Amino acid sequence: MRFRLPFVGYGVSWAQLAWFGHRASGIGVLIYLFMHIVENATLAFGPEVYDFTQTLFRNLPVRLGEILLMAALVYHSLNGLRVIVMDFWPSTTAWYRPLTWGVIASTVIAMIPLSIIMLTPYAPWGP
Amino acid sequence: MAGSRRVWPVEGDPLRRNPSRAAQPRPAQAGRERVMWYFMRISGLLLVLLALGHMGIMHVLVQLTGQEINFAFVLERWGNPFWRGYDLLLLVLALIHGVNGARIIIADYVERGGLRALLTWTLFGLGLVWMLLGILVILTFDPNGAPAIGPFS
Repeated sequence: MRFRLPFVGYGVSWAQLAWFGHRASGIGVLIYLFMHIVENATLAFGPEVYDFTQTLFRNLPVRLGEILLMAALVYHSLNGLRVIVMDFWPSTTAWYRPLTWGVIASTVIAMIPLSIIMLTPYAPWGP
Repeated sequence: MAGSRRVWPVEGDPLRRNPSRAAQPRPAQAGRERVMWYFMRISGLLLVLLALGHMGIMHVLVQLTGQEINFAFVLERWGNPFWRGYDLLLLVLALIHGVNGARIIIADYVERGGLRALLTWTLFGLGLVWMLLGILVILTFDPNGAPAIGPFS
């Protein structure tokens, strides 16, 4: 199944999107990792500095970013497992399409409860 | 998926050469590129457990149990050598895995030459500095609670 995307001059398949998603999520997680190491380095300045830094992360926009991070990590993990399986057992390419769909569907399904849990402190139904 | 006619793998199909359609098929010759090809898959397997476990604990379980991440939390967590070793292994594997992935993406989009070399070496330089910073923070943290034992105090 192919469909048109804005700014792309050709039909894009789900397989291409799955591949692009692997790169995009990988770069996203790497950028977060660089930020996370800097944030953790404030531990070296003692409790006041570290605890103040942590308060900067307790708000809705950051939490939405963390949910996006979780989605990127879940997708990258599941798609990475598919890559490993198909690279080491090439006969599984017979299930290329269902496996790719399975990765996308599993990510969406896993993110439903995870998003609800992570959003709870900032949501209307939260504490 | 209408009609379950099997269309692949067929002769000459890219799927046969690069079954998973990952960034690159397994390099034909032995050498650095092939070592990194295996490293990405083996570290990836470990990172599925380490990184998802880390996120599951720090972003889901901590909240479900009503805890808060602050200095006291880190004191307790890194007082345990298991969690300190876990975080160190996660840091080293994730940073190498991520930097190598970014290197492959740069090589895919930037022609061989000066700009590619500049971007790649900048990436390696940043990766090395951040790796040293991360290792230093984990190893020099004093779980006995004396504050400000960092390199700048």
